[in-house]
Amino acid sequence: MMSLKTILDLVLAAGPAFATYYLAAVGHGIFEKSGVLNLAIDGVFTLGVALAFAVSAVYMNPNLGLLASVIVASAFGVIIAYLTTKFPTSHGAIGLSTMFVGYGLASLIGVPIRSTTPNAAWYPLSDTFWAEIIVVAVVIGLLAQYMLRKTKLGASIRAAGENPYAASALGVDILKIRLIAGAIGYALIGAGAALYVLAYTQSWSEGTGMGHGWVAFAVSLSAGRSPLLTLLSAAVFGGLVNYSYSLQAAANLSPHITNMLPFIAALAAMVIYAVTPLRRRLAPPKGLGKIYFKEERTV
Amino acid sequence: MSEAQTKTSVFTQNPNSSNEVVLEAKNIVKRFPGVVALDHVSFNVRKGEILALLGENGAGKSTLVKILYGVYVPDEGEIAVEGRRVFITSPLEAIKLGISMVSQVPQIIGSLTVAENIILGLSKYGMISKISRVKEFIREESKRTGIEVDPDIEVWKLSYTQKQLVELLRSVILGAKVIMLDEAITFLPIQEKRRFYEFLRRFVGQGGSAILITHKIPEALEAADRITVLRRGKVVGTVDAKKTTLDQVRKMMFGERSSEITYERLPPSKPTEEVVVDVEDLWVLGAHGEYAVKGVTLEVRAGEVYGIAGVAGNGQLELIQSVIGLRKPVKGSVRVKLNSKPIDVSKVGIGKIRSIGVGYIPDEPLKFGVSMENNIEENLAMLPSITNGIIRWGRIKKLAESLIKDFDIKTPSSKTKVKLLSGGNLMKVLVSRELMVSKKLLVAYNPTRALDEVTAIMVRKRIKEKALNEKLAVLMASEDLDEVLQVSDKIAVMNSGKIVRVFNAQEAKREEIEKLMVM
Ligand SMILES: Nc1ncnc2c1ncn2[C@@H]1O[C@H](COP(=O)(O)OP(=O)(O)O)[C@@H](O)[C@H]1O
Ligand SMILES: [Mg+2]
Repeated sequence: MMSLKTILDLVLAAGPAFATYYLAAVGHGIFEKSGVLNLAIDGVFTLGVALAFAVSAVYMNPNLGLLASVIVASAFGVIIAYLTTKFPTSHGAIGLSTMFVGYGLASLIGVPIRSTTPNAAWYPLSDTFWAEIIVVAVVIGLLAQYMLRKTKLGASIRAAGENPYAASALGVDILKIRLIAGAIGYALIGAGAALYVLAYTQSWSEGTGMGHGWVAFAVSLSAGRSPLLTLLSAAVFGGLVNYSYSLQAAANLSPHITNMLPFIAALAAMVIYAVTPLRRRLAPPKGLGKIYFKEERTV
Repeated sequence: MSEAQTKTSVFTQNPNSSNEVVLEAKNIVKRFPGVVALDHVSFNVRKGEILALLGENGAGKSTLVKILYGVYVPDEGEIAVEGRRVFITSPLEAIKLGISMVSQVPQIIGSLTVAENIILGLSKYGMISKISRVKEFIREESKRTGIEVDPDIEVWKLSYTQKQLVELLRSVILGAKVIMLDEAITFLPIQEKRRFYEFLRRFVGQGGSAILITHKIPEALEAADRITVLRRGKVVGTVDAKKTTLDQVRKMMFGERSSEITYERLPPSKPTEEVVVDVEDLWVLGAHGEYAVKGVTLEVRAGEVYGIAGVAGNGQLELIQSVIGLRKPVKGSVRVKLNSKPIDVSKVGIGKIRSIGVGYIPDEPLKFGVSMENNIEENLAMLPSITNGIIRWGRIKKLAESLIKDFDIKTPSSKTKVKLLSGGNLMKVLVSRELMVSKKLLVAYNPTRALDEVTAIMVRKRIKEKALNEKLAVLMASEDLDEVLQVSDKIAVMNSGKIVRVFNAQEAKREEIEKLMVM
């Protein structure tokens, strides 16, 4: 029998992984709700990881690393939103190109710094800190939920994602709303990325973080982009990733299988939503990824 | 004309109409690839008046009001609001200037609530304002205007009419000085139309103004103060609605072709004994799980046009849909006989029915009848009765070109995406294609709804000719009683899911049918 204390310790220890995925997934959800297909996430996530490490290594201050990642990622969100909305270009092409730019920049920034300062200033490995980031992440998630469902900004974001032409006719400035959604969404993705390296892996080498942006993507999808449901999916995936070694050992699973789990769960969740009454609430935005060209014929 | 005569005039000359101009457009030019949609258009709207904007399909009416609403930016020209030059670069800008628009397809968002839809245009609420703050406001305006809506309901749950009413309420809440209605009333049942017009009258009576786009000239003559006519992107002229006549307006709209307009009954066709559609004791469920069709029995013979008259929402749509195989009946049967032996439609489904040469004009043609992202040729090629397996593009191109010529479809080429065509021309693509593929049977719902008079009458003549010469059976439901009276050999009146009476066309009396429709 495990004692309550042990369980609590286990939960807290998964805090960094949970906060990483939760924040990044909520950010992803906000951005996609505005109608922009977010395929750049893994590249910018990887860049955020490298940047957080590099800045923290140079200034020996994890908070500065976090800040740098948040700001730069947020700027990327703004750029992606601008390009996809202002020009009739494919969201996929812009997203994937940006992803590769992110990967490239990550190596460009991280590698030289690592060769001189392999150890940055990490966040503490303490129960208190873990509890703190869990609480902060949950509060941010609840704020995001409130913003999306109860405020004019949230209604504007959802409107822009459902049908940008109708939204525009209703008085939404599509470009402005998507820029805001991009800035907020990617700030959260940047925060998740920074926590990933500064609180979770606590080491950086080339390629660190790669693929975990996609996990956040899957975490968001499997929760239908709802910040509330993402609490659940992020907890599950955070736990899975955090304890994947123990899990592999305990269940005698190949690491390839445990790595696939988040994506299998995302597929399963999407199918489940599609056949249940949750369908409407959790359906992808109807205008997601569609090219928006202002003078397109609408009626 | 029958229409103008039978409608009792509920509106009198508006005493509030002044000469003060609220909105003016000067020399507006708008070009799209391949067309000049507006060619130096100038017109104005006065305070306290309803200005009708008329013109045949593709004349440029929608383009003009979209420019005034900031959806499109004009290539040349000026816009002035209350004498001051303005630049309307987005709908939000237009809203701030007191201009709002309601179009034929509701431009509101289904997954949002009424309150959420409305707050989007209210600049006085900041981005982080709570949506609930607007609800009280909506309730007050709702009471004041008599347009009842629940601010918390998600829009997808509303009927078409309710959505249009929400759009109207929204215009009022946004503080519109000018409301532009782009065929916003076209699809509404008659009683609702009246409510709309009454609302508009009150609105202009209180100093507002309205631009009304419709292709029902009698409605414009009755409701509007002045009428501006557009033709091929140019202004033909502006006339006083109370001093002009139906004929004069028609001449302005159609020129020479106005002489083709007639509401005379078309010559009867000569049905054979062969029964093509056999519906027996049909019971069909509607969208909300209630019975929409309650025990309908009917027969359509080869060469016969069977018209169903009725107020929208009395089961006509569900009946039509189950005849074509889109809705499964709960009880009863639909049999269609195309060759030797009858086919049970509910067993084989729509794909089969269509592939053996049944034409279908659906209720929401733009949604269900054409593929907007594809061009005219592709919209032909995708039908199983035109293409089987391998597409022969050379042949399709010829077909497309003959339809374009035959139906006078205004398009730069047969390779133009259909979404770039004007609403009426889009409808022509669909109707001409369906008439072409109809071998033995055409099933239609409001076949000419989005068409201007000249085109509508042409389509009705074509349908009738095909019935007469090729023994086509036609089952058609229409909310437009003029249409039913003009083409049908048999007229069934549908009310509350039942066929209440069937007339032979010669014996049908308009007044009697109207009574049965609303009893
Ligand atoms: N967004 C668009 N892109 C290209 N062509 C268009 C567009 N909107 C309208 N047109 C063309 O402009 C002309 C006028 O169309 P429209 O204003 O919709 O006519 P109306 O409303 O009078 O029927 C038509 O020839 C139509 O094909
Ligand atoms: Mg139009």
